Order: sequence, then structure tokens, then C-alpha cells
Amino acid sequence: MLLFNTGSDLNIRGSFSMRMQVYLDNAATSYPKPEEVYEAVVSFMREIGVSSGRGAYRKALEADRIIYEARRSLAELFNVKDTKQIVFTSNATEALNLAIKGILSEGEHVITSQMEHNAVCRPLKRLEKERGIEISQLSCLSDGSLEDLDLLGAVIRPNTRLVVITHASNVSGTIMPIGEIGKICNENAVPLLVDAAQTAGVLPIDVEAMNVDLLAFTGHKGLLGPQGTGGLYIREGIQLEPLKEGGTGSESILETQPDILPDKYEAGTLNAAGLAGLGAAVRFILLQGVENIRKREMELTAHLLDKLRENDAIRIYGPDDSEKQVGVVSINIGDHQPEEIGYVLDEVYGIMVRTGLHCAPCAHRTIGTVERGTLRISLGYFNTEAEIDYTVQALRQIAQRGVH
Amino acid sequence: MFLEEIEMMFMEPCVANKGVRMFARMSKDISGLMPYLNTAIKNATYNKDGNTLCFTKEFRLITLYPEKVAMAKALNPTDAWQVLDWIKDTINETYENRDSIQPSHERRVGVTALDFFEWLPRLNCGKCGEPTCLAFAVRLLLGERGIEECEPLLTTEYNKLRKVAFDLVSALGYELPESYNSSVLERSR
Repeated sequence: MLLFNTGSDLNIRGSFSMRMQVYLDNAATSYPKPEEVYEAVVSFMREIGVSSGRGAYRKALEADRIIYEARRSLAELFNVKDTKQIVFTSNATEALNLAIKGILSEGEHVITSQMEHNAVCRPLKRLEKERGIEISQLSCLSDGSLEDLDLLGAVIRPNTRLVVITHASNVSGTIMPIGEIGKICNENAVPLLVDAAQTAGVLPIDVEAMNVDLLAFTGHKGLLGPQGTGGLYIREGIQLEPLKEGGTGSESILETQPDILPDKYEAGTLNAAGLAGLGAAVRFILLQGVENIRKREMELTAHLLDKLRENDAIRIYGPDDSEKQVGVVSINIGDHQPEEIGYVLDEVYGIMVRTGLHCAPCAHRTIGTVERGTLRISLGYFNTEAEIDYTVQALRQIAQRGVH
Repeated sequence: MFLEEIEMMFMEPCVANKGVRMFARMSKDISGLMPYLNTAIKNATYNKDGNTLCFTKEFRLITLYPEKVAMAKALNPTDAWQVLDWIKDTINETYENRDSIQPSHERRVGVTALDFFEWLPRLNCGKCGEPTCLAFAVRLLLGERGIEECEPLLTTEYNKLRKVAFDLVSALGYELPESYNSSVLERSR
């Protein structure tokens, strides 16, 4: 928070220099980032600035080393034994597309949930049309949780090739029981793809203990890195068709894509400056400890939920329990359109939130908000209780006076 | 930490499916540690006069000089970096544990494919995809195949053979999948 104006009333409007800013859209992109991240990006661009994996000169090796260290830090964070099994993509969406389109063939069956993001739903829908795949959705309750985990075993068929499920919903924040799902998938020898867009860097993830075969993550949310970074962990032995072919800087004599990871899936020059920042961000997270980050976000989430609950005009969606959700809270106020409230929050109070359908129509259908959408408050590691109090106070004023 | 850094100095991108070659400089002279590494790295060949230590990690060929590492046949740059990390860890662990390691100045005679062949079922069943057990033994030695790919060896009939083959493979520093490790112990109980 840049400035805390205790007289936070409508008269703030117009006095730009006195305007405070509260950023509560961390589920879209986390902001701000740790200082180390800015430094790593700038120093890479200024002092190194060359392609990785492409040259025999010292600077190219330095670029290579920085990218390797980002990969190694991620491997440590997710307990990945072989660093090569992590491939970089530009975000979780690309990672999910690579995994889904790379593994599913004609006529195969996939199981997913009713809380998925469009980054999962849309690739599946395309394959349904183009490859005739069959999609089963595990039904979810209105708080976003799975109705009956035991159903998963029953839904698995001989031609089930993949289970794809979000680790935590970007709409309601609901955390899915990945460890238990992974156990069932493992017993049935069906690979599990986890969409960790909302959880990487925020919840502990152990691909071995949780039996995760494919882990799609993005760098710009909980991992505190720059936009345009992300990746996919691929368990050894799982073969995916690459999404793209091209130069890898290795085995250049081959006319076909090399078969060895990570090069197989990393055609084209990598976003080295972004990855330098991501590496610094993940090292920051490892130093803080994911458990500590989770603890802090739970404190903030509990504080927000407590304050919101005090106002009867505010409807809270999702589990309404900081133990069962990440720092993502969807609400609505009275009969107001969330877009209008979002506009007033920004314009009058300098509070940035997301409104609408959050790219996940099926999740909105599940929690009953597909018509109106929600106003989503998403917390980050650097938010404060004071910012939350100020936001809830603003919501209270809006609930009393309306948006006009 | 004994060895702070191994700095990559040169990496030749692989041109024709033969792997990546590279060399790196170490931040400390490891001459004094070589006899200990000779013991710790089971498949190493120590050349006392030349002050070099050669060994393989699976299919990769590695030579340690007093202040330099050379590696050939790494899969790709990421693989080369990863193995450099492993070398650094191995050197540091050997240094940490040097009091309990018996230093060795001997130059070990290399193991041949025939040594492996001795402990295979020798059925030439072809289940591993090789035409003969001897061919399998050769590729096992090169690190291109894993001992667990010999299906008959995993059956109860070959409990005794399996134990020896298992010990031989791990004594030579080849990696065994963890699942195999435990399942072998399970089965031989």
C-alpha cells in the first residue's frame, strides 16, 4: 500500500497524488515481486543478454547456466529428481496444451472436474471435436470441492488416458485433494496432470509423494516471477507429442526434433531474461519456505474472510475456510453487478480486483455464478492486514451507498 | 564447502547424435583428494603419474584433472550442467567423509562385458530386445541398458544370480531404479 488515507471516503476522488493503491489481483499476476527478481531480469538484459544453448562463447554459457539454475531451483521446489524433466513454456496455458494435446490420441478418455479453467476446458473441447476423445467431469459441490472422490476410481475405464485436475480453483480458491487423487491414478496406472497455476509457490507440491505425472505451472503468479515464464514437469517415461518443432541448439544435423528433454519441447529461443527472474523468484521462495508462505497467506485469507463475514450484504463463494482454500476469494454484493463494484473500487478507492467470469465458465456454473460472475479478491504474500481492512471498509461503503 | 564452484569453460554442442563435449574449471585443486575419489567412485581408473581420474556415469565419459573436468557424451547442455552438479557434490561429499575412506593409489583393471555375462541367465531369450545375453552385457557395461531389463533375472528362479548381478552392477557405480532396488530386496527375502 502506497498510502493509507484514514479518511477513505468519496472525497479521495481526483486527488491523484494522494491516491493509494491496493493490488488484490494476485491470482492473475502477482505484484509486486521480490527485489531480487527485478535485479535478475535487468542484470541479465544488460550484462548477458545473449541466447542460451546456442553458442560456445562464455556469455552464452553464462546464459545457459542461469537457465539451468532456474530449472534446478524448480526441481528442488517440486521434488523433481531429474532436472531435465522440467521443460519451460511461456505460461501454464502452454504447458497444459502441451500435456493435453501431447498425450491424448483418437478415441481416448479423459477425466476432469467441474472446476477447471479454460486452459484445460478449451484444449479438451478441441480434441473432443478433432480426435473424438471422451470427457468425463467429476461433479463438484457449490463450494468448489469434489462431491465424491471415490467416484474417480469408478469413472476410470480401460481407455482412460489422463486425469487432469486443477490444484486450486482460480474462481473459488478451493484446494483439490491432489495427493488422494494421485494415489487413485497411480493404482489405476492413469497419468495425472495437475494444473498448478494457482498453487505453485503457494502450496507445497511434491510430485513424488503426490504421484503427479505432469505438473503445469506458471511463473508469474505464486512463483513471483515475470510474465511469459512457466513450465511443465513430465515424469520420466511419459511420451508427449511436441506442440512445436524448431531450433534447439542441439543435434542440429537432425531434420527431426531431438528426442531428449528438455530440448524436445523447447524449440525456439527461450525467454532467458524472464527465466533469470523466475530463477531468482524461486530461490526467494525456497529461502522463505513454501510452508511459511502458505502460513502467511492463510493468515491473510482468514482475516479477509472474517471481515467479509461481518457484512450481511456480502455473499462469499467457495469454502469460506482458509484451511481449504488459497488466497482467492470470490464475492458478490447485494444485487450489484461485480463489474460496477470493480470500477468503483478502482476509481474511488484505488483497489484493484478482478470481476466477471475469470476464464472459467464451468467453475462459475458449479458455484452458481455463471450469469453474473463474481468479484474476485486474490491475496499475495506481500499484502497486509491494513490493506484488507481498507478494502472491506470500501466494500461496506459501496454496499451502503450503491455504486452510483 | 571444499569445492565452491565448477565453472563451465567450453561446451561443444553436439553435431551428430554423439552427445555434448565440455570442459570446466574447478575453483580448487583436487589433487590431494584423488586417491579418496578413486575409492569413492567405484568404476574410476586412477592415473597417479598423470594425476587424472577417469570414470563413466552411465554412458558419459568423465575425466577429472587437478583443476579441470572434461566430459564427453552428455545428452544435451542441461544434462551436462546436471552432471557437473553431481560431480561437485561427489567431490564435496568425499572430502567430508575422507576420514572414513581408505585412499587408494591403485589403478583398477576395468570390468569387461564378460564379467557381467557371467551373472546373467544366459538364456538368449531376447526379451530385453538384444539378440543375445552377451550383447546385453556389452550394452549394460556401456550404460545403455539397465540390469532390470533382463526379465528372467527378476524371477524367483534366479534369486541367487540376481543378488550377485545386482551387487556387481551397483558396485560399479551404475544407477539402479529405486523401485527395482526395493523389489529385489522384497523378492530375495
